[in-house]
Amino acid sequence: MTEEKKPEERKKRKTATEAASRVGPMVKAALAENLRAKEEGRPIAYSFIFSGYDEIIRAMDIVPAWTENYAGVCGVKRDAQRFLEKAEGENFSRSLCTYALCGLGFDSWREETGEMPPNPPWGGQARPTVMLGSGQIICDPRYKWYQAAQHYMPDVPVYVAGLPYPPYENDYDYREVQDYYVKYIVEEMRGLVAFLEKYTNQKMDWDRLAEVVDISDRTWNMISEAYDLRKAVPCPMGTGDAMNTMVPMTFMMGTQEALDFFKELYDELKIKIANKEGIIPDEKYRLLWGGGLPSWFALGDFNYFNSKGAVFPAEVTYRLVDPVYKLDLPKVSDPLEHLAWRWVKYWTYRNDRAKKRPGSSPEIERLIEYIEKYKIDGVVMHEAFSCRSWHPGLIWQLNQLKRVYRDIPSLILESDIVDISSYNEADTRARIDAFIDTLEAVKSR
Amino acid sequence: MKSQYFAGVDIGSTMTKVVIVNDAVLASVIGPTGPEHRKLANRVMEEALAKAKLAFEDITYVVATGYGRINVPFADKQITEISCHARGVAHLLPEVRTVIDIGGQDSKGIKLKDGRAVDFVMNDKCAAGTGRFLEVTAEELGVSLEDMGRLSLEAKHRVEISSTCTVFAGQEVVAKLSEGVALPDIIAGLHEAIATRIYGMLRRLKIEREVAMTGGGAKNIGLVKAMEAKLGFPVLVPPEPLLTGAIGAALLGRDIVREAAKKGETLTRSQRRLTEATLFT
Repeated sequence: MTEEKKPEERKKRKTATEAASRVGPMVKAALAENLRAKEEGRPIAYSFIFSGYDEIIRAMDIVPAWTENYAGVCGVKRDAQRFLEKAEGENFSRSLCTYALCGLGFDSWREETGEMPPNPPWGGQARPTVMLGSGQIICDPRYKWYQAAQHYMPDVPVYVAGLPYPPYENDYDYREVQDYYVKYIVEEMRGLVAFLEKYTNQKMDWDRLAEVVDISDRTWNMISEAYDLRKAVPCPMGTGDAMNTMVPMTFMMGTQEALDFFKELYDELKIKIANKEGIIPDEKYRLLWGGGLPSWFALGDFNYFNSKGAVFPAEVTYRLVDPVYKLDLPKVSDPLEHLAWRWVKYWTYRNDRAKKRPGSSPEIERLIEYIEKYKIDGVVMHEAFSCRSWHPGLIWQLNQLKRVYRDIPSLILESDIVDISSYNEADTRARIDAFIDTLEAVKSR
Repeated sequence: MKSQYFAGVDIGSTMTKVVIVNDAVLASVIGPTGPEHRKLANRVMEEALAKAKLAFEDITYVVATGYGRINVPFADKQITEISCHARGVAHLLPEVRTVIDIGGQDSKGIKLKDGRAVDFVMNDKCAAGTGRFLEVTAEELGVSLEDMGRLSLEAKHRVEISSTCTVFAGQEVVAKLSEGVALPDIIAGLHEAIATRIYGMLRRLKIEREVAMTGGGAKNIGLVKAMEAKLGFPVLVPPEPLLTGAIGAALLGRDIVREAAKKGETLTRSQRRLTEATLFT
């Protein structure tokens, strides 16, 4: 058994918005709710964010346990190493997704001892009733992590919902095939409902599902409206805060609480803009977080950027919604079909724009859209070594962006999401300093 | 009007470099940074002052750069090595548009426009592609670092070093030696490996001619030749490639003072002391 290590005590990170500062307690409350659900015998589902099934589990009163989030919490608390080491001791490679490794280390520890590991961050993660994978966005842990977790919990059933979307290609129109994708996704979701009814004894209430889907549609719109306010100069909220506000977006989607949260954020940003209150008083550079999950243990780097006069009015990471009214969704009565259309259209609605710019792609169009909307001076990306599905494509995107759009200053940070051993604060900040110098040189030309 | 003197202090991972300038370079000193000397950048500064026949009080402005630039008690300002290298190279070789700096613990590519850095790439995560790679393998081979370049030019059949990890490349080198492979062929293979690694990093920048090499790596003729083979054209090397960062730092200090004088501004400076540097506290 890996010896317990005391996490390093850290000062609370400064947020620009009151809304972002409320998120820590919300995560804590959600984890406490999981533990309470366990005690009360309510069903708990290990779940992945952005898997299209949030509304289904909410409508069925199943308590989600967001395992990526818990690994992130361990990272923020700088207490992930002992779980990573435990997973490594179980022969999992350190080069796998460190969210998954952290979760597997935690699960194997809890299952081996029959109790939570000592002093688990924020109370720990309860044993689930079911585990819900999701086959999408080529992220292999989304379907392999929970299968691997069954080594420790063979009695906990797994369902992997397939959520494909038409890939972007120049030589065909995705509309030719989108109906097949929607049909497939609906079948996968029906399978999920049947699976949940069988293994959790909860019944789907279809009217309730329609209500939950309506709330989540309105939340998508509300988030987009609130985040659009960050266009203001000075910028009232940066990516550092968005790494907090992603919590109600991704872990509470389909709840009234999430909708209310973003309405309150919208109101707060409106007031800040009226008062010309920015993240920092003297905003010199506006940056786009162009991709890559953050180093959860080093969110203070956003404050370091701020100390150099740089703010992040926008980010690609965890901007997992767009205004529903922009997606041109067909009117359907089945809430599952609506969810399937929303999923497919979210991934494809920039395709037409990309086709008009040779060498572009929907992802690059999104970068260009944000650069223009938020008056961006430079792009920062983070290559997290253990996220193999998303991060290897980032450099290509950056190169293509410069080729098809313009030669915008850019910075690539290198580290990990959870594994702090990959991080060097002095090197990272030396890179940030050098990047600020290049921004200054480009601006003064 | 009294002459003004400016000092640039570049505290790298391996060497500390100090340059004193007024209208030209007056003095320069290169001393080791290594573990036992880590805090002794002030001694290199004292040596440079003695060479220039100046007292510390004669120096109008001191700029510190390099990995150890933080908390240098005798500096007026800290500026990143990217900016200092850019300024130094632009001064020494104005035709250069791309700089390859191979230092002891990192390697960098810098794009220049109008004498300033407008883009850069860095490898500071892995010893492969840095001076450390050659230091470690030179030790495995029992050859001094200084002799590596000259020896590699004698290679007849360069071997391929397949490992990109410094530690494993060291083992590979030992294996090649035991197979009886000639020393120059192994060293040429090492230069090829490091050049390949750096070239891969540089491709993130759009490499534009002219290209200059700086840092300790540029003192190795074998590595320079390997880099030229990758690029497909010759590179420029300043007379003392270790000093470009310190020269750039001194010149940036001079720019700051002259710019302030032009605007009629008074520079606010913290009190400086010629004492030990505290690195990364």
